[in-house]
Amino acid sequence: MPQGDYIELHRKRHGYRHDHFERKRKKEAREVHKRSQIAQKALGIKGKMFAKKRYAEKALMKKTLAMHEESSTRRKVDDDVHDGAIPAYLLDRDETTRAKVLSNTIKQKRKEKAGKWEVPLPKVRPVAEDEMFRVIRSGKRKTKQWKRMITKATFVGPSFTRKPPKYERFIRPSGLRFTKAHVTHPELKCTFNLEIIGVKKNPNGPMYTSLGVMTKGTIIEVNVSELGLVTPAGKVVWGKYAQVTNNPENDGCINAVLLV
Amino acid sequence: MVQYNFKKITVVPTGKDFIDIILSRTQRRTPTQVHKGYAISRLRQFYMRKVKFTQQNFHDKLSTIIEEFPRLDDIHPFYGDLLHVLYNKDHYKLALGQINTARNLIGKIAKDYVKLLKYGDSLYRCKSLKVAALGRMCTVIKRVSPSLAYLEQIRQHMARLPSIDPNTRTILICGYPNVGKSSFINKITRADVDVQPYAFTTKSLFVGHTDYKYLRYQVIDTPGILDRPFEDRNIIEMCSITALAHLRAAVLFFLDISGSCGYSIAQQAALFHSIKSLFMNKPLIIVCNKTDLQPLEGISEDDKKLVMEMKAEAMKTVIGQGGEATDDDSVLLTMSTLTEDGVIAVKNAACERLLNQRVELKMKSKKLNDCLNRFHVAMPKPRDQKDRPPCIPQAVLEAKAKKAEETAEKEKRKLERDLENENGGAGVYSASLKKHYILADDEWKEDVMPEILDGHNVYDFIDPDILMRLEELEREEGALQGLEADDDFEMDGAELTPEEQAALAEIRKKKSLLIQQHRIKKSTAESRPTVPRKFDKDKQFTAERMGRQLSSLGLDPSMAIDRARSRSRGRKRERSPDRGGNDGLDSMEVDGDQQNKKLRVRSRSASRSRSKSRPPGEVVPGEGLKDTAQKKKAIKMAKRSSKKRNKDARRGEADRVIPTLKPKHLFSGKRSTGKTDRQKFPLLWIHIQQPVASHVWGSCIRYAVQLQQPAIVENLFVC
Repeated sequence: MPQGDYIELHRKRHGYRHDHFERKRKKEAREVHKRSQIAQKALGIKGKMFAKKRYAEKALMKKTLAMHEESSTRRKVDDDVHDGAIPAYLLDRDETTRAKVLSNTIKQKRKEKAGKWEVPLPKVRPVAEDEMFRVIRSGKRKTKQWKRMITKATFVGPSFTRKPPKYERFIRPSGLRFTKAHVTHPELKCTFNLEIIGVKKNPNGPMYTSLGVMTKGTIIEVNVSELGLVTPAGKVVWGKYAQVTNNPENDGCINAVLLV
Repeated sequence: MVQYNFKKITVVPTGKDFIDIILSRTQRRTPTQVHKGYAISRLRQFYMRKVKFTQQNFHDKLSTIIEEFPRLDDIHPFYGDLLHVLYNKDHYKLALGQINTARNLIGKIAKDYVKLLKYGDSLYRCKSLKVAALGRMCTVIKRVSPSLAYLEQIRQHMARLPSIDPNTRTILICGYPNVGKSSFINKITRADVDVQPYAFTTKSLFVGHTDYKYLRYQVIDTPGILDRPFEDRNIIEMCSITALAHLRAAVLFFLDISGSCGYSIAQQAALFHSIKSLFMNKPLIIVCNKTDLQPLEGISEDDKKLVMEMKAEAMKTVIGQGGEATDDDSVLLTMSTLTEDGVIAVKNAACERLLNQRVELKMKSKKLNDCLNRFHVAMPKPRDQKDRPPCIPQAVLEAKAKKAEETAEKEKRKLERDLENENGGAGVYSASLKKHYILADDEWKEDVMPEILDGHNVYDFIDPDILMRLEELEREEGALQGLEADDDFEMDGAELTPEEQAALAEIRKKKSLLIQQHRIKKSTAESRPTVPRKFDKDKQFTAERMGRQLSSLGLDPSMAIDRARSRSRGRKRERSPDRGGNDGLDSMEVDGDQQNKKLRVRSRSASRSRSKSRPPGEVVPGEGLKDTAQKKKAIKMAKRSSKKRNKDARRGEADRVIPTLKPKHLFSGKRSTGKTDRQKFPLLWIHIQQPVASHVWGSCIRYAVQLQQPAIVENLFVC
């Protein structure tokens, strides 16, 4: 029975076939043609996947080739232009920059007064009510249509208890309730799975905020104690705001970006 | 019996391949088409099925991996330890554990997303959920792919481990590197272990099988062990230590007394004493190898003392097993694997000791007592003191004796080969092949034989009765020729009557005419149209003509005409106009005259210019062409241009008649491919072959309208 490194042993004892190396060389040379044939003939999903792989390979090849072709010759060096440097004939025109700065500060002040803050997604697509709610028929003859089921992801707090079913108007199905969000830190570029504390603001309206509906663009508050952030005063930060960046009902998870 | 053959583990695919396999499986094995307009429950079901199917496949494949890899705690401790030494138990368990968690995670993902899919209210939403689910499952596998790669490597290595049965009779060979363990196993078993002069040639355990007293023994070759503290040992040495520790086997400790392995006897003795704890309860034999280089008696006094010490230790094991306390030589043995001196003795001694030990143990065990009282070996009591040896018939004895003689003779007989060797070897001596010829006179043996003599092949005449045979052959051939001659039948003209002669002449004339006609037909076949009989110009094959010919012969044609007419009468009765003119002359000559108009024309012209009689095929230069070749080419071109037209039965260039504008077979019936579309609208297709100017299109449309072909007009714009 073949045991141990029997292949190497056989090679050591009997060597290779007399045409082994030639065949190997030829086979490798033929691989190029075969690959191109496959690339041309593959259809459908297989073809697409192959094309994608091949494109990536080609890009890499081109990069390495360019790198090899780089020669260490002397090239002309462009001196960096200092920030704010202007040619001689414009030396006496510097009022515009100041004006720009001024208008920026004015804009900021206005924004603060209006209560708008800088968020990663300033504008989101408005969600219509019939998209948000689904009408539930109730009653003995199923004619009453005052109940609504929410079709988007929601958050209910841990102390949430339903109203008696006869009186609840908005149904938040338990399958669509989420407690955790995948929060990305914009500077660290890493993602954490953090617990949601609450829904702060839903851009579609205060009703949705009170219901706890999370759509794209909603500001939520997450528990960041595992990040270990500390205020300058020395207190531990355990809650921070984050903005939802995906459509949770389509992806089955909440992706958010932390507002630092 | 637990499997000790790890070759049956399925291949573990890499992470990427795993994902590809499962996803393409999902794509192939689940329904693929779904449309926006389907009922929402159908959409949901479609996507849920995909998610569940993928999860199921992942689950199955991961489960096979987890189940097929052996659990180190469930197998024999020898294998458990061996695998630990080779692959590190913790790493191995971790890898399998990761696969297990991956499986559970995928199950959870599938469950969650199926729950979410129930709330999907549009195709897009369900599809995104399915994409998210499959994506997450694949991410789990991607994260686990280093474990998969590790497990694949382990599997490949495990498949090449020797399949050792830890419970059967085993002989273990150990010692320093290069002492001759592998050569020994090569000698007594069929295992082909590599033997090289450098140390640590054998890097893992090898197993071979040998027989003794109708029982099969496993012989295990181990890598060499160096004398080191236990913690410093590397993986290769640990393999042999594991084997020594866990297998109940007879141990052969090899000693190289010549020192050619590079280690002195003192070092080897030191090793022996450091691992002697592993030899407990095992029949131990000390084997001194390489005695061809250095016999045991010739070693120095110190070495001898060391060897005797080792022997004493080994004897202790014998005593410990309750064996005889004799100075049996089955504890210290000498051999040489090179000269094969003493190898079998060592093997027998080891097998014997092991067998005895095992039998003893079995006898002592409790289980045996249950079986023992069921056994009874019956020994027949001797009836009397008469000696009854086996009966060998006389003939057999004689045959045996003769055979013995023959072999002796064969050995004494001088072979050709010996002769060759004596006279200088293979290249120098050439054997005389004529030595054993059987001839009438022995002096003819060395004669030179000619091959050709007087222009004849000598071998043809070697047969003594060859002349007789030749005569016989000739006679036969003559007889055959005579037979052939009889078959020829010669017609004599004088035997026929004048009527018969006239008839014969008629028949011959008609035959030659037919042949001529046929030849003309063949030569003009290229540019002659194949016209159905309906449109036959010459009207040769009408029923009336047949009637006339029959009546000229003197027969009543009416019945024949009726029969012909009844068969040819189709839906449309053709009223063939009676082309008269030739009623009187309906003999056979007229046919030829009518047919060969062209020939007649040519013959007339030929008869006019009789002075210049030229063969019909000859072409002379003239009419503006410089030489024969060019004229021939011109004629050919002219013919070629008219050939196609003639084949289509067109009268000339301008003949564009379409006999039936709407043939029934093209406009009726259902056909899925467009085979008949092309043929239905001839005008349309003619114009489409060549690019045409717009005014031509206009005229075409007008023409189509003229013909009242609205279908054509419609199709003109469609195409």
